[in-house]
Amino acid sequence: MSWESWVIATLSRTLAYGTPLLLATLGEIYAERSGVLNLGVEGMMIIGAYAAFSVAYATGNPWLGIGAGAIAGGAFSLIHAFACITLRANQVVSGLALTMLGLGLSGVLGRGLEGFPLFSSLRGVTVPGLHRIPILGPILFEGQNLLVYIAIVLAVLLWFVLYKTRIGISIRAVGEDPATADSLGVHVARVRYLCVLVGGVLAGVAGGYLSVAYRPAWTEGMTAGMGWIVIALTIFAFWNPLLGLFGAYFFAALFHLSFRLQAWLAPELLKMMPYALAIVVLILVSRGTLQKRMGAPSALTIPYTRGED
Amino acid sequence: MKQKRMYPKPRTKEVKVLKRSVLMLSVLALVIAGGLAMVAAEYVPGTPLKVGFVYVGPIGDLGWTNAHDKARLIAEATFPWLETVYVESVAEGQEGPVIDDMIQQLGCDVILTTSFGFMDGTLAAALRHPDVIFGHCSGFKRAPNMMNYMADFYQIYYLNGLMAGALTKTGKVAYVGAFPIPEVKRHMGAYAVGVREILPDAEIHASWIYEWFSPTAAKEATEALIAAGCDVFAFTEDSPTVCQVAAESGLPSFGHYSPMYAFSPDYIVSGQIAHWEAIYLDFFAKIYAGVFTAQNIQDLDYWWLLQEKAVEIGADPGMFINPVFEDALKAVMHEDPILGTISVYDLVMARYAQMADPSMVYDPFNGPIYDRLGTLRVPEGLRLSVFELTTMEWAVDGIVGPWPGEPE
Repeated sequence: MSWESWVIATLSRTLAYGTPLLLATLGEIYAERSGVLNLGVEGMMIIGAYAAFSVAYATGNPWLGIGAGAIAGGAFSLIHAFACITLRANQVVSGLALTMLGLGLSGVLGRGLEGFPLFSSLRGVTVPGLHRIPILGPILFEGQNLLVYIAIVLAVLLWFVLYKTRIGISIRAVGEDPATADSLGVHVARVRYLCVLVGGVLAGVAGGYLSVAYRPAWTEGMTAGMGWIVIALTIFAFWNPLLGLFGAYFFAALFHLSFRLQAWLAPELLKMMPYALAIVVLILVSRGTLQKRMGAPSALTIPYTRGED
Repeated sequence: MKQKRMYPKPRTKEVKVLKRSVLMLSVLALVIAGGLAMVAAEYVPGTPLKVGFVYVGPIGDLGWTNAHDKARLIAEATFPWLETVYVESVAEGQEGPVIDDMIQQLGCDVILTTSFGFMDGTLAAALRHPDVIFGHCSGFKRAPNMMNYMADFYQIYYLNGLMAGALTKTGKVAYVGAFPIPEVKRHMGAYAVGVREILPDAEIHASWIYEWFSPTAAKEATEALIAAGCDVFAFTEDSPTVCQVAAESGLPSFGHYSPMYAFSPDYIVSGQIAHWEAIYLDFFAKIYAGVFTAQNIQDLDYWWLLQEKAVEIGADPGMFINPVFEDALKAVMHEDPILGTISVYDLVMARYAQMADPSMVYDPFNGPIYDRLGTLRVPEGLRLSVFELTTMEWAVDGIVGPWPGEPE
């Protein structure tokens, strides 16, 4: 087994499995950067997966399915946004409730669709010519979904928006110190609503990718805890979309390797890495000065009302 | 300025009376409930029977739980005096309260728990409710009111292994396993015995996903095995993912538990289909007739195989081998000491007839069989007993990869 084919196979699978992680993480980064903790990612992913599968199955068009997944995830996140921003409810509780709602609702609705193969799935594309580049070619350009490329482009784009544009500054300001942002004329509630919506839409697309491109099929509970890895990833990525890109692919590689290296390494060890690493990161960024620069947004999970302290 | 009250002044006297009456009512309710529970009588043969099923996964998994549920529906449709209820996706370790609820609130006379991991919880519940009949699937602990039942696939996995040995081009076949328990190891062992009968140097690559149901893990495990050079796939996982992934790469696979033909019509060769209703119809009918009671099933162990029609070979009911692969299997010839030179297709058919025969003329685990560390596990001329089959931890020679719990 040449090292070359090992590398190609591992990285190729990393890209495929890392895409839903990346998409959902980008969304969650934006939501948390604006100060709203969204623990409902798992529920939004699975409701997106169900919506995407049912629409793709009914219409025969996988992209319509992905769109439906986005809408479903977005609609779900609006519930969370309304509860957390307008009603100022506890964000942790609201997120967890949405996770359970998403899992249950998708299970009930999806009962009739279990067992149907999707013939109109999102197939991989092979870029002619480019796929002959040694090593990088088969990894990047052979049999990968369009959504893989979209996710990479989106990561760079969202990083640019967050760090290099006024919108990005507004978002970060709202997450760090909403009172100050409010006094400067930034509409805190609107920014937070938008960011949570972005989070929900991307989580829904990630779920849709799972059921329309990755498997493709619908089974109850098919996200199998991916939403929780996304939340750990957001921390591991220091709330930075580009680091989220590397983090998602790193975790995906670990997941794939847990099967290839099974003969030498206990698979449980590799499976627990995402969570263990998130804890390490949390410890690192919780100390004094680092917390200001690289830690969580200061106003994360704190509801904001004008006039209250 | 007088501070405005945040809450209205509590009406202490009314509250006290209310609290006392609520307390008395709840005590009364508990006493009645407790009394009813204790009065839960033993089942009388010939009267309507209520059976509760405890499932470990969702009924839509298209695997293990789905097969049980289909059998439950067949039993309910067959017997007019039968009523069934079920609870799905019960985590292993959580079955105790669910069982108590089924007996006390729903009045079940029989409880069936369908996962190896429910074993200790079911035994504890059986001791708590000595008048209720219990059945535990795929385990080995029993009580006067608790029996075991299993429709085992090892004969079918052997037949699937024969086909895999004929179809592999790289000499490496793969098996994606769930948990390294004797049931899965037995199936992998039978599969390996079959593969090696056709191809004595074949490698059977094992991979474990440590979940009964995890489509993403199954997908990644299969991709890893494809990258390692394996080209025929069998598995224990409650979804058709492995078949789908193998089909994407144009590789043959075998279905598991439920008909998976629709997911890979061009690449699925065969598989195993469970017909739990064979056992359920027999068991329920005998309870109704008074043959089995809550006192005499200590030694009842349904170990049902091909001859009892509890299991079927194929990826679709009635389809033994996918017609797409018939010619390929007929083209590979094999030398058998007793049957002579025959094609693998004919060998599979002959072995099937031998094993489905009530006297079980042939068994895959007949000696001599060595494990992969060199120990002779089945001496020449002998077969494995049911006990040895249900507690098997060793790996048949030819299996490659991690094997947790391998005896030295």
